[in-house]
Amino acid sequence: MTDVVVTDALEEVAPPSGRHGAAAWASWFARRIGLAVLTLWLVSILVYVATSSLGNPVKAILGRDYLADKARAAQLTSQLNLDEPLVTRYLHWLGGLFTGDLGTSIASQRPVSELIGSNVVNTLVLVLVSAIVMIPVAFGIAMLSANYRRRRPDTVIQTILLTLAGLPEFVIGILLVAVFSTTVFHLLPAVTLVAAGGHPWDQPKAMVLPVATLVLAVAPYVSRIVRSTLLEVLDSDYVELARLKGIPERVVMRKHALLNALVPGIQVIALQLAWLAGGVVVVETLYNYPGVGFQLVDSVRNHDVSMVQALSMIIAAIYVLVNLIADVLSILLTPRARTAISS
Amino acid sequence: MANNEILDSARFSRRDIFRMGGVAAAAVGGSQLLAACGGGSSSGGSGGGSGGLLIHGTSGGSSKDTLDAHSPVQSADIARINNLYEPLLFWDDNYQIAPALAESIEPSSDAKTWTVKLRKGVTFHNGKDVTPEDVLFSIKRVADPKNPRSAGAGLSTFIDFDGTKKVDDSTVVIALKTPYAVLDWLFAEYTFGIVPTDYDPKNPVGTGAFKYKSFTPGKQSVFERYDGYWGDKAKVDQLQIQDFADANALVNALSAGQIQTMDNLPYNLMSSVKKTGKIVEAETGAWVPFTMRVDQKPFSDVRVRQAMRLICDRKQMIEQALSGEGSLGNDLYAPFDPSFASELPQREQDIDQAKSLLKAAGQSDLSVQLFTGDDIGSVATASASLFVQQAAKAGVKVSVVKKNPFYGDDYLSYTFAQDFWNTRNYIPQAAVCALKNGTYNETHFNNDKFAGLIASAQAETDEAKRKTLLQDAQEIEYNEGGYIIWGFRKQVDATSSKVSGVKPSKYLPLGNYKFNTASVSS
Repeated sequence: MTDVVVTDALEEVAPPSGRHGAAAWASWFARRIGLAVLTLWLVSILVYVATSSLGNPVKAILGRDYLADKARAAQLTSQLNLDEPLVTRYLHWLGGLFTGDLGTSIASQRPVSELIGSNVVNTLVLVLVSAIVMIPVAFGIAMLSANYRRRRPDTVIQTILLTLAGLPEFVIGILLVAVFSTTVFHLLPAVTLVAAGGHPWDQPKAMVLPVATLVLAVAPYVSRIVRSTLLEVLDSDYVELARLKGIPERVVMRKHALLNALVPGIQVIALQLAWLAGGVVVVETLYNYPGVGFQLVDSVRNHDVSMVQALSMIIAAIYVLVNLIADVLSILLTPRARTAISS
Repeated sequence: MANNEILDSARFSRRDIFRMGGVAAAAVGGSQLLAACGGGSSSGGSGGGSGGLLIHGTSGGSSKDTLDAHSPVQSADIARINNLYEPLLFWDDNYQIAPALAESIEPSSDAKTWTVKLRKGVTFHNGKDVTPEDVLFSIKRVADPKNPRSAGAGLSTFIDFDGTKKVDDSTVVIALKTPYAVLDWLFAEYTFGIVPTDYDPKNPVGTGAFKYKSFTPGKQSVFERYDGYWGDKAKVDQLQIQDFADANALVNALSAGQIQTMDNLPYNLMSSVKKTGKIVEAETGAWVPFTMRVDQKPFSDVRVRQAMRLICDRKQMIEQALSGEGSLGNDLYAPFDPSFASELPQREQDIDQAKSLLKAAGQSDLSVQLFTGDDIGSVATASASLFVQQAAKAGVKVSVVKKNPFYGDDYLSYTFAQDFWNTRNYIPQAAVCALKNGTYNETHFNNDKFAGLIASAQAETDEAKRKTLLQDAQEIEYNEGGYIIWGFRKQVDATSSKVSGVKPSKYLPLGNYKFNTASVSS
């Protein structure tokens, strides 16, 4: 869904609006935000309808006790406002989202926001740290690889990257744990143990393996995309011209090639980061890392409707936000698109 | 009719039982401490031995986790409850009754009035003495007729609250409306912890060897040694119970030395723990039977039922479905019951006999559907496919039907299916699964003579006489029942090699989770 929005945004900027500078930028930005909000709103309808159309949640929660435990069934029904029509319930829930009231967890009877707050932060930190490590690594490898194009170092690097890309992240994780924690060496903690009220990064050593796993899982994709774009740019006429002018190869690579290869890199990084924010259940489970993916699985298992809705919305919001940032960066880094907006 | 409800002394919802499925014997409760009070502990420190921190890892925790003494959901809760609270009696490591907060609980000759003598000098974590008022409050909370907790579901139907009262500062009398000769079993359940009259699960005060420090549902909880403990004071200073999403992560954490103990080690991971830690193995009375409805064709013919029992190769079942970690079953449950009919000959696979029984019943080319599901547990599906192969040898065609969920609307009406049960003694177990009004009478067993024997046994305080009655009842089930009980699984837990003092128990994992006896060397 967001991909479509991305291309739209790039095309829409083409016709000059006639207005100038800041005003044009503001209008473009407002449009982008509007589209993001629209996306989120559609997601909210999907999430709500999907979680509501799975049958009577009270029946799912209570199972065989549904008929036996009338009092609890009635209590849950009123807590979930099930006696109201779907639309009313949806609007009520949507209103709650805006005021920051995410409802009450059915499993623990505590406010959802209180339960998921720390997990959301934990996941964001994990993703952010992974991104900070991954981006320079992926670009460095891509540049190295492009520099040695079709020669032995390039072949070796590409083979390794392909192998890593082919391995599921849990396999990488299990190997890392076996090598660094349990079987071969005992250098790093195998799992994350968080003290009450603490954070996973209180013990930085415990972050090493989860971050390494995510970096190894994501970097190959980014690196391969950036490499192929780099090669394309390096073959282009203006790079050729720069070389003919006598500019040293290092500068050609850094100033002429890399800057122009950034945009596809940013797009693929955004997609990968968004995927990390919601899709790292396996890694979280393996390292017992208290993040949102793990919590979502737990909530689905508990039929905890309010938790599932809140977590789905947060993951969708991260997707949209990351893509929005990537789009803005792409525009800013593409002179043609940049001038098209402000002219 | 009411009688059967009375018998239903440990009624759980199917879901509750399922959640406790990973834990051996979760249905009944108690534990034992070393008899010597603080014996052998060093005088240094505040009564401790090794000091330090013990981290116990457990899988299955979720945001549903609780500290409530009387409503545990899964194994992390059970571990917490056993260290925070204590019942009047304990089930010991050998599944025998041992004194705890009560020195004794004695019945009158008609088993309708029970006298509880409280242990003196026992204090709650807030320093207050345990009084008869606290005991009465706890009984009322557990056996509240409006909202009975798991340990009080049966008790709530036959306790007489008017006659149940304090006699003096260390004596309570419990009155029943109908006789119940094994009431002491109910008071040994770990879910029957004694709590103070101002109890609030948010401030969980009990009498256990550890007191509450902090708790985050789905993540972890921390406890400190209680120095005023009446029994064997804890050797470690702190106990941390850590939730894990997955058993592999648990084993990794144990190998990396991040946790010291773990429960419910999957059989397939035993070899990886053996290299770095210690396996704690214990027998249990937990069983995953095949269930045949005795009121429906083809199993309404007792010869067909007996033939099916003879088809089952019990040794192969244990070898493959339980990875060898189990003990033989003889189509009878409650193997730890003092009245268990161990003299009945062990039933073994006998294909010829099975064939001739089927032929006599006119069912030589029998074909049946076997209902199973993932929510029963992995043992169920493994044993179901084994049974298909074994039945083929006798010319019986069994086709497996996987239901999702198994414990849905059709549960209890399947003609041929599976189920799982945890350790219980005979009377409480028969009450739920073998009497006409039993909550989970999946075989629809309904035998007047059997019901009469159970009713008499329930009122019989003479243990020898009760044993005779119950053995007669078991013989009826052995000859006519609808269960194929092929084995009882072993409980497998693990500790790091640095932990000592954790003994196997037939009742709950890791020596009933009593971490006060454990010490950690550095």
